[in-house]
Amino acid sequence: MTLNVVRSELVRLRRPRMLVAWFGLMALFAVMINTVMFSTVGNGQALPPGAPGVVFPDAATLSTSHGLVSGLAAASSMFGVVTLSFWAVAAATDYSSGLIRLLVAAHPHRWRLLLGKAIALVIVTAVATFVALVVNVLVAVPAAKQAGISTTAWGTDVLPTLAAAWLNSFAALCVWGFLGLALAVLTRSSAVAISVGVGYVLVVESVIKMAASHSSDWLLGSTLTALANGGNTALTYPAAAALGLAYVVAGLLLATVVFTRRDVTD
Amino acid sequence: MSSISTSGLTRSFGPVLAVDHLSLDFPASGVMGLVGPNGSGKSTLIRLLLGLVRPTEGTATVLGNPISAPAAYADKVGALIESPAFVPGLSAHRNLLSLARLRGLSASRVDEVLTMVGLAGRQTEPVKNFSLGMKQRLGIAAALLSDPQLLILDEPTNGLDPAGIVEIRGLLRSLGQDGRTVVVSSHLLTEIEAACDYIVVIRFGTLLFTGPIGDLVARTRAHIDIRAEHDADTDRLARAIIAAGWDVTNAEGTLRVVAEPTRAAGINRAAAHAGVTLSSLVVVQDSLEDIFLAMTGETDGELAAARSGQGREVA
Repeated sequence: MTLNVVRSELVRLRRPRMLVAWFGLMALFAVMINTVMFSTVGNGQALPPGAPGVVFPDAATLSTSHGLVSGLAAASSMFGVVTLSFWAVAAATDYSSGLIRLLVAAHPHRWRLLLGKAIALVIVTAVATFVALVVNVLVAVPAAKQAGISTTAWGTDVLPTLAAAWLNSFAALCVWGFLGLALAVLTRSSAVAISVGVGYVLVVESVIKMAASHSSDWLLGSTLTALANGGNTALTYPAAAALGLAYVVAGLLLATVVFTRRDVTD
Repeated sequence: MSSISTSGLTRSFGPVLAVDHLSLDFPASGVMGLVGPNGSGKSTLIRLLLGLVRPTEGTATVLGNPISAPAAYADKVGALIESPAFVPGLSAHRNLLSLARLRGLSASRVDEVLTMVGLAGRQTEPVKNFSLGMKQRLGIAAALLSDPQLLILDEPTNGLDPAGIVEIRGLLRSLGQDGRTVVVSSHLLTEIEAACDYIVVIRFGTLLFTGPIGDLVARTRAHIDIRAEHDADTDRLARAIIAAGWDVTNAEGTLRVVAEPTRAAGINRAAAHAGVTLSSLVVVQDSLEDIFLAMTGETDGELAAARSGQGREVA
């Protein structure tokens, strides 16, 4: 039954404009972050301040095998915002179009509708992450050479490095996506959901971090930055993964309770 | 067995009672009309039956299953609820394919229902390019996807041209003759009269009438309008008709006589006996719409005033 929901969602998600916009933005940010990051670090300029915005590694880190995929982790919040937005749009459009009436009438097991939508979006997010990874690799090599960053070490452990980078980014983006899905179900508006989600992570959490830097490492934005990086000094990888999973469970639980109990009046 | 049965079904939204202790039964097959003015609770009733909203109190069954467990009958019910809802950027075929996948149906069923509603040649066009009438046809196609035993259509002919209305009406009639129940909700009584065998009239969420449409037609009355050849004879004519035992009202020279059509000859004789020549004698039959308006109110303003005046708020 849930498989039917996933197949149904995938038909609706395969909208050319939506997918081109989603994958296009992921590719665009991959180009931007690699270009700016290698240029900035190569010129020895001051690095941007810490998370939850963009975090640049130093030249030494970029010269390691991990340098090939540093762009993905550095711009995890940017990729996250894109993912949150498209998950929110996909969910909220059901309400704004009135399609939710047909969906619930045809499939009254509402939690399965929500789960099926989430699974379908996870599948598309996996592809979007892959697109970002491919573009990142294509841009990183010439950008590093242009900036005078050594790429000698990039040839070692390429596949494990790429696989780990994809997995970490994908895991972080899924958490971003679930946040967007939960907010869209709660607010029934993509605009409000995106505003709240992005506003919290990029503004509210930044303010909290400035006020209490170390005690805020477990907050959503910081957690997802750590997860996308495969762990960092603030949070180990297992801790970031566990926290990310907790955020997903909490968001999905809240959305499920609201979705199953609320009347469909749209 | 009734296709739909409600008992004391009630739903309030804040202080407003949308459906008020409604108890009714729809027969097991045929085309049924659900009629009421705007805001009478038709859409809320449909949403209750489909499990989209939950009742405040009361119970109901759809195809013998309680509405508290809509999954038990969802596969046997198709619905067009208010306006058709689709993803604008997707084609008609892909929109229906999405709904077919949700119900575990094959893609060939999509082609079948598109043909049934006359959209077979337009299936690859994005829905955003469709006219309201075409969207309406697509909405009906979506409702037909599961080959439902119960079809609930809210204003199905909305936006269709006259030829389209006749076509869809024929489709609904043929579906009703196949042993299914087709419930057509509308505020247009003429449409219901043309398509339905059975009718339910509600107002403010309460039941006003339920039964075969012929029973409602039988409630219609007639009167006879007469006019004297010379206006100066109007008062004399009125006195003569009243003296003969009929009630008369004067509407700018035309006398409206409350009488059965069979009394026309007697009225004519009474006029002749009073020495008045009639220039016209017309038997006027009330329409079903007149009955409907008499039951539900003439205007939206009247409805609103009646609603506030009847203490419809929940205490």
